Amino acid sequence: MTQVSTGSEADCMEETFHHCCQLLLQQSEQLRDGWSWESVQGSQVGYLKKTVLRSVDINLSSVWDQVGSSSDSGSHSVCHQQQQEKSALVASYDADSIKEDITDDDGGFCAVSKDSRKVLQYEYHILYSCSYSTPVLYFRAFTLEGRSLSLEEVWSSVHPNFRIRLQNSPLNTITQQEHPLLGQPFFMLHPCKTEEFMRPVLQLAQDQNRPVNYVLTWLSVPSLTQQPQAKLMLQFFASHSQVAVPMRKLKKCRAP
Amino acid sequence: MASDTSGAATSSVADLKLQFAPFSSALEAGFWHQLTQKKLNDYRLDESPKCIKGYYYNGDPVGLPTRLTLEFSAFDADGPTPAHCCPAIGTLYNTNTLDAFKTSDKKALLEKESKEIWDDIQSGAALKDPSILSRFILLTFADLKKYHFYYWFCFPALCFPEAIKIIQQPSVLEQVFSAKQIAALQEAYDDLAIKRETSAVPYFLMKYTDDTVQLAPLGDWDTFFTDTKKVTVGVYDPCTLSQHPGWPLRNLLILLAYQWGSKLDTVEVLCFRDRTLQGSRSIQHSLIFQVKLPELPNNSACPKSVGWEKNPKGAMGPRMVNLSECMDPKRLAESSVDLNLKLMRWRLVPSLDLDKVVSTKCLLLGAGTLGCNVARTLMGWGVRHITFVDNANISYSNPVRQPLYEFEDCLGGGKSKAMAAVDRLNKIFPGVISKGYNMSIPMPGHPVSFSPATQAQAQRDVEQLEKLISEHDVVFLLMDTRESRWLPTVIAGSKRKLVMNAALGFDTFVVMRHGLKQPPVSQNVSAGADSSPSCSSASSSSSTPAGSAPSVPASSLFSNIPGHKLGCYFCNDVVAPGDSTRDRTLDQQCTVSRPGLAMIAGALAVEMMVSILQHSEGGYAVASSSDDRMNEPPTSLGLVPHQIRGFLARFDNVLPASLAFDKCTACSPTSTNGRSEPQVAVWLVVSSIVNCWSTNVYEQGGGK
Ligand SMILES: [Zn+2]
Repeated sequence: MTQVSTGSEADCMEETFHHCCQLLLQQSEQLRDGWSWESVQGSQVGYLKKTVLRSVDINLSSVWDQVGSSSDSGSHSVCHQQQQEKSALVASYDADSIKEDITDDDGGFCAVSKDSRKVLQYEYHILYSCSYSTPVLYFRAFTLEGRSLSLEEVWSSVHPNFRIRLQNSPLNTITQQEHPLLGQPFFMLHPCKTEEFMRPVLQLAQDQNRPVNYVLTWLSVPSLTQQPQAKLMLQFFASHSQVAVPMRKLKKCRAP
Repeated sequence: MASDTSGAATSSVADLKLQFAPFSSALEAGFWHQLTQKKLNDYRLDESPKCIKGYYYNGDPVGLPTRLTLEFSAFDADGPTPAHCCPAIGTLYNTNTLDAFKTSDKKALLEKESKEIWDDIQSGAALKDPSILSRFILLTFADLKKYHFYYWFCFPALCFPEAIKIIQQPSVLEQVFSAKQIAALQEAYDDLAIKRETSAVPYFLMKYTDDTVQLAPLGDWDTFFTDTKKVTVGVYDPCTLSQHPGWPLRNLLILLAYQWGSKLDTVEVLCFRDRTLQGSRSIQHSLIFQVKLPELPNNSACPKSVGWEKNPKGAMGPRMVNLSECMDPKRLAESSVDLNLKLMRWRLVPSLDLDKVVSTKCLLLGAGTLGCNVARTLMGWGVRHITFVDNANISYSNPVRQPLYEFEDCLGGGKSKAMAAVDRLNKIFPGVISKGYNMSIPMPGHPVSFSPATQAQAQRDVEQLEKLISEHDVVFLLMDTRESRWLPTVIAGSKRKLVMNAALGFDTFVVMRHGLKQPPVSQNVSAGADSSPSCSSASSSSSTPAGSAPSVPASSLFSNIPGHKLGCYFCNDVVAPGDSTRDRTLDQQCTVSRPGLAMIAGALAVEMMVSILQHSEGGYAVASSSDDRMNEPPTSLGLVPHQIRGFLARFDNVLPASLAFDKCTACSPTSTNGRSEPQVAVWLVVSSIVNCWSTNVYEQGGGK
């Protein structure tokens, strides 16, 4: 596994990452698929970001309980969850108990408002990891209230078929980590297999004398990024392989 | 979906009345983190209103609620707005107390904000920058002790005194416009955006013919429209309902009525919706309809306004979100630890039953080198209940070998090991449930004076030990004398608790599970069958000199010994426990061993416990031996040996198994018989200790 590389080599990889991101953003802007660059104030450091909303049909808590009792996390976690639910109930009672003289006197101007609790927001960040010399995906999912979901809840919002595929994938090691730039808790797809996966792809591109955008290619691997848009990203990549990062440069930078 | 039901209602009963879809507040997780930072570092006790920023988007797929979104950058009111989104200016009122949150005058806050909108309409400021029509109020209280956030959004909308009549029902644009007109509209909109140096235009004016579409900013009204009998205005519309415009149209219509109401006959409204799916952009699903605006009262008083958001139950009230799970560092530590363990299950050992491990209550008798290392390994496995019993204080030589203690703990005579270990565990992982007992474990053979006070103390200690063993699932014997292991072995045996025993020599160790007697009903049957003496093993004990090696029963390599027939630590003793600390040199007490040994043995004791817990029969599982190394393992984690005996000099471990000795001083029926009644047991044990001290009855009884 690539360890922290020193000096110009590391800088070069990071530069390549930024370059790839810029190209990706240009394409993304044309396609309006929502990737943006978020920079940390007063510095060059930053990350690609995308937020996706999805309606969720399922009742999260009941699915969660099934997951829990079926062996995933079991009694102590379920118990934990029940405590949380209980405290949430108590607390929401607290919020409800606040008496208001505001009336809903809108004279019928207001259309039926929708139940917003069944919508989840998924936030994806792509950062450059100096230790692994690869892009790394950070993600979290949260409700419209801004409450982040536990990994079990995230899993339960994933279609069962897809879940099995992901669990069987050798690339899906997820850990809970502090976002290195924001300091907030995120889930991270562990990058240790990235190099292993990317090598043949890059080799193929080089053999065909075809330029390749490392970040784009990386994004196109569904099991690496697990996005609902994985398919879109694949299309995206297929139609934009002219996005040129000289392969030799990338290769040179990657040599140990 | 709501669009259908409300659409039906509109066409049947109130088909001439325009209704708007209100905003739903949407907060990104980062918003609350940033509010917390602001409160702690900038606002502190300052409750004055703060300028913040949100945005809305007109490109959502059908089915998503109309949202006003605030992300962590909301506090940077001058910062950029996401591409293709419209900004909304907000006022944040963050109160210091829940009471202030409750009692703040919501009506007054709404009126104040509405008045500003009304002033901007009257002064013409809203014509120049119509984005100031979309404002919001956010009232918050952050309980940073519980990480509970109370909040209430308000999206102020000025109201007409009566309903807005629909002249022409909302239609999808592609039913009204030709493909050519739609293409022209899209181009004109993009041109206008470029001219305004933005990627989203909240409001605009519109003129069209069969082939052309012209757009202009709101402020160009007088030059753009020559005839105001029928005008068309465009609104960037975040709503996805097929019969209703979103909230931003409301204040625009008030502005139109105020500025040009008397001249306007019909207003045509384009709800501009602009989405990109699979890389292809479309605006043909935009809505278009015509309304007649009611007149505003002639005086210049601010119209009535509405806008406080309903809570999820549909009632007027605030919301609360509990973020302790993602903000409370202790909760974060717990979920990270759990997740790491689950990863092991997901990735490597799918059938691993983590709950059996995590929920196991462990009693550690001894908080020295072994106790410290056992505790750390248990924590690594996510075990929450860890109890220490030790009567020693921390001395200067301890911290380098006992990883729960530091130099500071040795000062002033040294802290109690049991107590200091608990403190350190809580520092390492606050989710642990740990208790310490600074008490000695009654031992046979140690000379004491037989004062009533001493006897009473001994009895209290025995009772306490018995109670502790009852309350736990696994008992770890980690003391540095063999005598102190005797009483816990007897009590734990009578209570059918799994006993994990670890003992060190200079460069050898033994880690073993004690045989687990069958439940009392079948006791007599098994007692008779257990009488075969254990064979001495060729492979093990011969290599180490007696005295420096831990005393272990001579082992056999018998295979297929079930858990209830396995021996205990004392089974092959030829002598009953005597006073091993008397008349011996330091290294004979086995307190000096190679420094790595305790870590190895402590870790193995825990790993062996975990493997046993994974076996369907637990402590009754047939013992694996070295011979089983090539066979299919009995658990997902591998073998469940009786003993692991390690020889550091050879860097070698062997896995012997041995039968229980029917006359064992600690585990034979004669030593556990009749102790199922707790009180009787206490008395028997106490009296046997007393007997032991004076008459060596056990040495005689056990050895004959
Ligand atoms: Zn025994």
